[in-house]
Amino acid sequence: MGTIDRRDFLKLVGAGGVGAAAGFVLAEAIKHPVEHLIPYPVPPEEFSPGVAAWYNTVCSMCPAGCGISVRTLEGRAKKIEGNPSHPVNQGRLCALGQAGLQVLYNPDRLTGPLMRTGARGAGPFVQTTWDDGIAELAGRLNELRADGRSDRVSFLTAGVRGHLAALLELLMAELPGARLLQYDFDHPHTLLAANERFFGAGSLPYYDLENARYVLSFGADYLGGWLSPVHHALGFGRSRQGRSGARGRFVQVEPRMSLSGAAADEWIPARPGTEGFLALGIARQLVAEGGYEGADRDAWAAALDGHTADAVAAQTGVPAATIRRLAGDFAGTRPSLALGGGATGGHTNGVDALVAVNALNYLAGNVGRPGGVLFNPPPAFGPRARAAHASYRDMLALAEDARRGRIEILVVSDTNPVFTLPAAAGFAEALAAIPYIVSLSSFMDETTGLADRVLPSHTYLESWGDDSPEPGVGFTVGAIAQPVVAPLYDTRSKGDILLGIARALGAGEDFPWANMEDYLKAGWREVYGRAPIPAEAGGFEAFWISVLRAGVWGENGRRESGSPAVEARVIDAVGVAPPEFAGSSDEFPFVLHPYLSHALRDGRGANLPWMQELPDPMTSVWYGSWVELNPATAERLGLREGDVVDVESAHGKIGVPVYVFPAIMPDVVAMPIGQGHAGYGRYASRRGANPIQLLAPLTEPVTGGLASSATRVRLVPTGRRVSLVKQGGESRQLGRGIVRTTGAAAVTGPGARLASIPIKVEST
Amino acid sequence: MEPGRSGRQSGNPGDDRTGVSIVPALRILRPPALVLGVGLAGVAFGYWANTTYFPGTTPEQPIEFSHRIHAGDNQIPCLYCHSQARRSAIAGVPSVNRCMGCHEKVATDRPLIREVARYFADKEPIPWVKVHDLPDFVHFPHKRHVLADIACQTCHGPVETMDRVTRLAPTKMGQCRACHEEHAVVNGQDCWTCHK
Repeated sequence: MGTIDRRDFLKLVGAGGVGAAAGFVLAEAIKHPVEHLIPYPVPPEEFSPGVAAWYNTVCSMCPAGCGISVRTLEGRAKKIEGNPSHPVNQGRLCALGQAGLQVLYNPDRLTGPLMRTGARGAGPFVQTTWDDGIAELAGRLNELRADGRSDRVSFLTAGVRGHLAALLELLMAELPGARLLQYDFDHPHTLLAANERFFGAGSLPYYDLENARYVLSFGADYLGGWLSPVHHALGFGRSRQGRSGARGRFVQVEPRMSLSGAAADEWIPARPGTEGFLALGIARQLVAEGGYEGADRDAWAAALDGHTADAVAAQTGVPAATIRRLAGDFAGTRPSLALGGGATGGHTNGVDALVAVNALNYLAGNVGRPGGVLFNPPPAFGPRARAAHASYRDMLALAEDARRGRIEILVVSDTNPVFTLPAAAGFAEALAAIPYIVSLSSFMDETTGLADRVLPSHTYLESWGDDSPEPGVGFTVGAIAQPVVAPLYDTRSKGDILLGIARALGAGEDFPWANMEDYLKAGWREVYGRAPIPAEAGGFEAFWISVLRAGVWGENGRRESGSPAVEARVIDAVGVAPPEFAGSSDEFPFVLHPYLSHALRDGRGANLPWMQELPDPMTSVWYGSWVELNPATAERLGLREGDVVDVESAHGKIGVPVYVFPAIMPDVVAMPIGQGHAGYGRYASRRGANPIQLLAPLTEPVTGGLASSATRVRLVPTGRRVSLVKQGGESRQLGRGIVRTTGAAAVTGPGARLASIPIKVEST
Repeated sequence: MEPGRSGRQSGNPGDDRTGVSIVPALRILRPPALVLGVGLAGVAFGYWANTTYFPGTTPEQPIEFSHRIHAGDNQIPCLYCHSQARRSAIAGVPSVNRCMGCHEKVATDRPLIREVARYFADKEPIPWVKVHDLPDFVHFPHKRHVLADIACQTCHGPVETMDRVTRLAPTKMGQCRACHEEHAVVNGQDCWTCHK
């Protein structure tokens, strides 16, 4: 030791050098990365980095029209909450509304105008320009108009209200004969028609759940997807817990227990399609024994003659004693309220059944009273004519015209009929016969995939607009939707696209507005002029800013409406036709009960990851489709949870796993709507199955709406098994005593009020 | 005889019987061990040299803005430019607009001011480099500290004497805790006071 030779020395120098370099690089690598502070060249007004700015606007995730407050930081939307000032949702918001951020930031959003290059439905889309896209559409529209063939133009949109609807109406006036169709799968056609027939009211009334003490709901899943779920949930909560000394009682009549059924005090399964008979049976009890004393008592007695409790019990499968008890409670617990909708309105006798529900409200004296049915004033702004929503029959007529070559231009906006119409309608094939299809959708959904041009619109968080909610809240309410963030991509708001088309059509004089904001302001100037606002309040600009700030505007907060007299011919016509079903009960033993998924609604929420991972409240299943079977049925067919079965109707079949669900009638199978997309982005596509595709083209005769609950199916086991993605692996208590149960004697003994599960109902 | 005992005995230095020694192994390993040792020392040196001579606490800025001239010589208060510090968690840097508020008139002929004016004319932000940066899991609200009359210099050092700003504070947890202790901050030692 002690000597280092030349070779060792070189080794040591090398090691030291390499080590030092490595140490230097290591220190450099673990250093905090360089970050930048990027100031605004010119900051926006009232802007502070790190301080949240909240903007009020209107939710467009479903037709309820809730007010929302969006928290933004440095110009980015971060969180959506309910607007506390808005009377519809009063600060609350549902899960779908919360997920609006994922519409804005969705990675599958269309980022600019597109043009199809290959074959329709397959061909790749290439980016094009707005000027080019609008010029081509307007050029073709102009050509047809010059030839006097503008009746070969159709605009197909989701339901729109407020000034956007008025703008559409104006544009249609430029194209004589052109068709404007508003189509939503879940539009309450039958409810509107029943109210029109019974009350002569063309709009949806206000159902005052909050002040009701007894609510009898026929198929209306008011806490789930029916009309205005957030507002109903508020009313439900206040009816139950908001008053001292009074707790609202809720009874739900439906073949498959919905969220509202689960929350109700009593769940009554009636045979599908016979809910209207049950309403008539209760109505007869009110007239015959409940002491109805109106002047038209005799007319009612004559109209309801024959609907005795025993006869109705035979029709519906609900015991006669139950019918008498319901009638007694309904008449005796005031104020009471009867609701009808959902699957009850989705049968071939839907309007009849909902008229019978209205008759219950009338006979119990609930109309025009707090805690009952109140009528809404007409909206303070919007289109002059009340836009008729396209029924299934209207959509079939459109498809038929398309097939005969009578439609040359179709503009589709925000509605996805290829997904939400049954395969039996042949809508996708009909679209193939239309030479020119333009979509204004923000996403590549199934219908947009068949378009020739896509002119993608802003999301609602980037657009100007306004809304007066339907159903209203019993008094005049309007709200302005303002952009809460600058547009993320090269998209345009729907209003601006329509104005651009109008200008390109050479109708600039009739459309003097620079943009949608300008048009909206002009419209609200009229609202301001009509409203009783003192002049010293600061003029229109101050009014406009105050409405934007509050996010809502209303004339007064009092609910007052009269009780219209029901005409004798309406009373004479009260009666429910027997329901029709597509398919024989021998071949197809089960009635298919499709219901709106809470998370995905009619499928529009399927591209939102938050909604995909939201478990269904009744089954706790998520990320897919399933078919719900009564345990007795499952046992009879030898099926267990997770067995994949083919659900077959006369019009198609889909393979889905079985979920054994005790709260469904033995001869009914239920499926949630919303999954089964072929397109619509990475989160929606190739997941689950779409039960709408199975539905038979059976319509409700009055409205022409699809009788979506009237299809019979059979189940064919495939022998395959999957494990359902659901929360909680065990549906039994395993002796943990989580829920107290009661013995059979208490259920069936005298005076028992509990519905027994599984249900014993003779099959039809 | 106990087996353990005989084992120990066999390892005695005076013992003739063959034993185990590590000396031959060391002899074989000496050159690699030495090389490894020197290499590790080199790593330590390199690391030290980097952090000592290239600490990155005085980054070069896109425009050689001098706090000495503005805050020192001209006595402009910190909050005149960093006006969000009293309102927001983020102190923020002034907008280019704020710079031009003065420099539309003041020293317009200097080359650096011309550069600022060019940024403003192009409506381009100036990409300032962050000097004081806390990890994302730390919540430091400027507002609360400014409203509690903590001088900016407590953390940022004598910025008014610096031409190019350098970070003197360690910006580590100990500094926060020591200061919170000194000022007897309510819940000042609580994890959630600073950590998100």
